[in-house]
Amino acid sequence: MALILNYTLLYPWIAFVVILAVTWLVTHFLDSIIKRVTRGRSSVANKVKRLLVIVIWFFGIVFALEQLGLLVEILLLIVGLVGVAAIIASRDTLQNLFSKYFMDIYLTFDVGDNIKVREYSGRIIEMNPMSTILLTNDEQIVSVPNAIFYREITVNTTFQAWKEVSIPIVIDNDIGLPEFESEVIKSGNKFKHHLDERFPPMMAVKNREPKTTELVLTLMIKNPDMKEAITTEMNTRIAEIIERMKAKKKEVKW
Amino acid sequence: MVLPLLQHLVSGGIAESVHWVSLNPRGPAEVTFDGITLHHIQLEADRIKGYGNTKEAIWKTLHGLPSDSSPLTTAAASPMQVFWQDEFSDFTYYNRLSAERILQLDEKFDFDLFYIHDFQQLPIGNMLNTLKPKIFRWHIPFDTSTIPPEWEPFLSTYFNSYDALIVSSKKYMDSLKNFGYDGKPHYVYPYIDPSQYREPTAEETAEFNSRVKLNEGDKVILVVARLDPMKGQDHAINAMTKVAKMVPDAKLVLVGNGSFSSSKQGVNLSKADKWLNELRQLVKRLRIQSRVIFAGHLEQNLLNAAYRRCNLTVLPSVREGFGLVVIESWLYKKPAIITARAGIAELIQSGHNGLLFDPDEPQDLAEKISNVLLDDQLARKLGENGFVTSRKCTIERGVKDESKIMLGLV
Repeated sequence: MALILNYTLLYPWIAFVVILAVTWLVTHFLDSIIKRVTRGRSSVANKVKRLLVIVIWFFGIVFALEQLGLLVEILLLIVGLVGVAAIIASRDTLQNLFSKYFMDIYLTFDVGDNIKVREYSGRIIEMNPMSTILLTNDEQIVSVPNAIFYREITVNTTFQAWKEVSIPIVIDNDIGLPEFESEVIKSGNKFKHHLDERFPPMMAVKNREPKTTELVLTLMIKNPDMKEAITTEMNTRIAEIIERMKAKKKEVKW
Repeated sequence: MVLPLLQHLVSGGIAESVHWVSLNPRGPAEVTFDGITLHHIQLEADRIKGYGNTKEAIWKTLHGLPSDSSPLTTAAASPMQVFWQDEFSDFTYYNRLSAERILQLDEKFDFDLFYIHDFQQLPIGNMLNTLKPKIFRWHIPFDTSTIPPEWEPFLSTYFNSYDALIVSSKKYMDSLKNFGYDGKPHYVYPYIDPSQYREPTAEETAEFNSRVKLNEGDKVILVVARLDPMKGQDHAINAMTKVAKMVPDAKLVLVGNGSFSSSKQGVNLSKADKWLNELRQLVKRLRIQSRVIFAGHLEQNLLNAAYRRCNLTVLPSVREGFGLVVIESWLYKKPAIITARAGIAELIQSGHNGLLFDPDEPQDLAEKISNVLLDDQLARKLGENGFVTSRKCTIERGVKDESKIMLGLV
């Protein structure tokens, strides 16, 4: 009788711990899935990962609490209703925000390019989370909501725009930028026969945060068919360089 | 040229303080003097070679010189190949290291302006992601006929990261305009501080004569240049065979040794020693050992004595960004014979303040040397008019012109 009683008491706690452990495991396996979906673009991958980790932990904790007999249905219902209301209220904003995330991966234009969308054409002078700003030939400013780029055909009219491959990179500030850049350039040299010889790889700093630095590596390819393969290969190599440099840092600390 | 500029900017009250970031693998991390703080970039030994080789290969191409036996340049299958060698990553590493140091200092001191000097630092402008004004001083020849067309897009990207570009002659500025630079190019002739070139004492002149073993009646042709194939000392030596026949007392004195880059303190390239050896072999082959004197490096007081003692100076370079040694010799009212491929050539009215020669024509140089040595009136005229022209290249004028460009941006 005593054993059965103990088991009944223990069971919810075991379930609670198991659910939290599973949640932890799921968040850790996210890395490889996200890298595949975002084609290894570290800046986008980090943002998507952060968002999903919050969502997964939210549901993990809610279900874990449920095992302890806490009434979470009402909590879930309230959160759900608030969520639905927020989504309906800010549908356009969310559309634009999500569009911006995926534009970084799937659309083939960037600041400085000339594009044509609907009846508007001009040079992109800004890409913010909500819209893409064009400077037209008659010096007018046109703001195009990001969601439009998924509904309309967009033409990049920049001369030889197909050649350019921009790879966003985020590195921790404890990784030395000069050494990192030097390693990335050497790595790019390995497949130089696929790149336009007149434009050696060039790295630029886009933004500096207290803990991280956002960079962009620009490559110019020879053959448009190779764009996807080169992007993936370069991202893989960059990830390896970052891992190697992090490991080296740890070794030095030890 | 950088140090006198900085000293004048501080002493003239144009700049409150100056921070100078420079490569010096063996110097202390930081030195302060005369309101100038010097920050040394200390490149690791394994990076120095790659950096030095890349710099050398780029420098040669910009001077229109053929590649030599360096592994980097002989491996080069095309003009762009230098930027695709692994050694180029060391060149980038040095520039990024400098840029990061500059940005760190900027956080601390909040600079008003960045002044980047010479071609090997060109990528720094692109690496300094700041809205503050950036000026680049291109100190070597800028001649589109020697720059491979394939380099244009790459170099233009770097040039266009600067708000102003300064070159050493009007001709170079015109070349730059046609090269795809979107900003406003300027030209400022390089400059010297005339107060450094005082009249030598009788003892200093005697010491110079004794050191290079000159006789009183010798007619002295002076070449002042570092030992480097680009400086064309071989042209002057070749000319001596003919000059010796026409002017029996003529002697050629070659002053100078290697540059900092080729020194053991620098990137340790043995270019100067190799070139000196080749020049000695040439003199031996031509059997003019008694006519050619290798004086090596001279301290400033003995260099002043050399200028005072000589009958004329020659600038025999294959290519020369400008040619400040001509200005130095003009301060002593000495006639100068100058390669047509030097930046300073645009200041020469041939027969008025100097004589120009084609470095591909050894006879041309020999004839002009002989003419000046045998015609005192011509020599005097060229020297005196040269002295007047030298005023275009004084530090006062140079600092005024450069600070005008700087103040126009801040």
